[in-house]
Amino acid sequence: MSKDIVMETQNLVKKFGDGVTAVDDVSFKIEKGEVVGYLGPNGAGKTTTIKIMTNLIKPTAGHACINGIDVNRHPKEALKSVGSLIGVPGVYSYLTPTELLRYFGKLYGLPKQRIDERIKEVLNMVNLSDWKDSKVGTFSTGMERRLAIAKSIFHEPSILILDEPVLGLDPEGIKEMRELIKSFQEKDVTVFLSSHLLDEVSKVCDSVIFLYDGRVVEKDSVERIDEIMKQYRLIDVELLEDIRKSDLKDMKKIEMIDDVKKIDDSRIRVTKNDGDPGTTAEMLRKIVENGFDIVSYTPEKSDLEDFYVSLIEEKEGAR
Amino acid sequence: MKSIKDDICEDVRNTWLTIEFELEKHFKRKRVIISFSLAVILPLIFYVVPKIWADFPDTAERFASLNLEFVSLLIIIAGSLFAGDAVSGEFEEKTGLLLFPTPQRHMTIFIGKYIGALIPTMLVVSIYYLTVTGEVVGIYGLGALNLDFLKSFLVALIYSTSAVSVVFLFSSILQRKITSTLLGFFSLMMILPIISNVLQFLVETEPWYIVTYSAGLITDVFSATTQVGGGPGGGITRFSPDFYTGLGVMFAYTIGLFFVGLWISIERRME
Repeated sequence: MSKDIVMETQNLVKKFGDGVTAVDDVSFKIEKGEVVGYLGPNGAGKTTTIKIMTNLIKPTAGHACINGIDVNRHPKEALKSVGSLIGVPGVYSYLTPTELLRYFGKLYGLPKQRIDERIKEVLNMVNLSDWKDSKVGTFSTGMERRLAIAKSIFHEPSILILDEPVLGLDPEGIKEMRELIKSFQEKDVTVFLSSHLLDEVSKVCDSVIFLYDGRVVEKDSVERIDEIMKQYRLIDVELLEDIRKSDLKDMKKIEMIDDVKKIDDSRIRVTKNDGDPGTTAEMLRKIVENGFDIVSYTPEKSDLEDFYVSLIEEKEGAR
Repeated sequence: MKSIKDDICEDVRNTWLTIEFELEKHFKRKRVIISFSLAVILPLIFYVVPKIWADFPDTAERFASLNLEFVSLLIIIAGSLFAGDAVSGEFEEKTGLLLFPTPQRHMTIFIGKYIGALIPTMLVVSIYYLTVTGEVVGIYGLGALNLDFLKSFLVALIYSTSAVSVVFLFSSILQRKITSTLLGFFSLMMILPIISNVLQFLVETEPWYIVTYSAGLITDVFSATTQVGGGPGGGITRFSPDFYTGLGVMFAYTIGLFFVGLWISIERRME
């Protein structure tokens, strides 16, 4: 049985005044409790989609719905269960975290006692408890970012929309953010996450949506993408002698090799068209048979990033 | 499904929360203390200076009229201070990215911001008049107070709403808060008064439709229209705003510019 659809876009289009189409016919559905990565290069339309989904901008055509409610027509109802962190928001520098969070707590209709409890809880979560009564103007960028995260989760939303959440965070902060997202996953919170850090996305997301040039080019589970990537095994091979251009051409003629790239004078990266260890042995034997002496070889793991790059290259090639 | 009544109640509640939040921000930024201090210090100058170096004017009306010449300036300062960055600040500082994706109509945010600027501006005016009233009672006795004081106070309050509307409009249109604040201030302080004076003294037309001209009612309620001396060709007519026309113009600016500003703010998007 399929789960409830909690976020949905239907043929979403956003054209700006200068004629740029930032989002072009974007449709996707996200189920309750899913953690979805929204990926794409700069200018692909990620933030524009997120801004439409949070009623910061209106679409030129199409709809964005949360819990079945059109966000742009009924933002008050649709955004009740949503916590969001969009871009790099400014934080009122003359207020303290407590004052800021208290206002948002009231806005989300939390009772006074609960607001006090949540202030303690969320500031503790984002490691800002010691600064709860300090003016935000004295904070570092990372601390401001953590406060913005605290605001987005303050009312315990069932849907979280995060646009580049680890931007401005140090490695420790990134790790904490990852743990935080994982904890939401356990609580059945739906997370929609845009990021350019594909490694981060692969660590926390169930599925990913790839956006390119304003269009969705792929939507799949991280697990399935891993399966696909296993078929594109990369092997770094170090040869005894320096490699010439003609050597690369000769190697490409070997049947199980899809591509060969020179890494440095004596090292090459071979792309195989399957992940079978048997054919790897066969391929290495053929390389030796062609007169190349192998010093060493290292199988490289293909990841989401390789998949993403291959997808983009495919799209660029199709242009 | 929520009833219309519940929906409206929720909007009113959200507007009130914005007003509270705006007032808290004004307090935190020391704007309230600065403008309230000015509202006490300015009228005190009119008491202290004649007390030490000269005599007080003969009548309470003349004293009040001289003193209240500066209430317009204070209204413009307070209006610019409280409304100048109400909308533009959210966009320039990107604090709107925190504020706007929340379960409230953008309309309630901007109405709250407008009222949040209006309340302290009106309080500044009230403090100014309280101080002047205290001075008048101290110098001329309780009997010196008459209905003109109340009329002047009401006109000043209505002018406050017009001034806040003018600045609010600039804030809704412009990108940068410093530009919207300064343009709001200089429009009321220089641009509109210059146009008004040009029309009066060079074109000899009454600029009844200019709000800063109508603001003259604040002190004009204490005296009648006067003629000022002119050059060899004769006297120059100094127009004086008609009480009801002036009030009408102030109301028109308040309502008209507020709604235009509100509409622009709602339509404005964080792109």
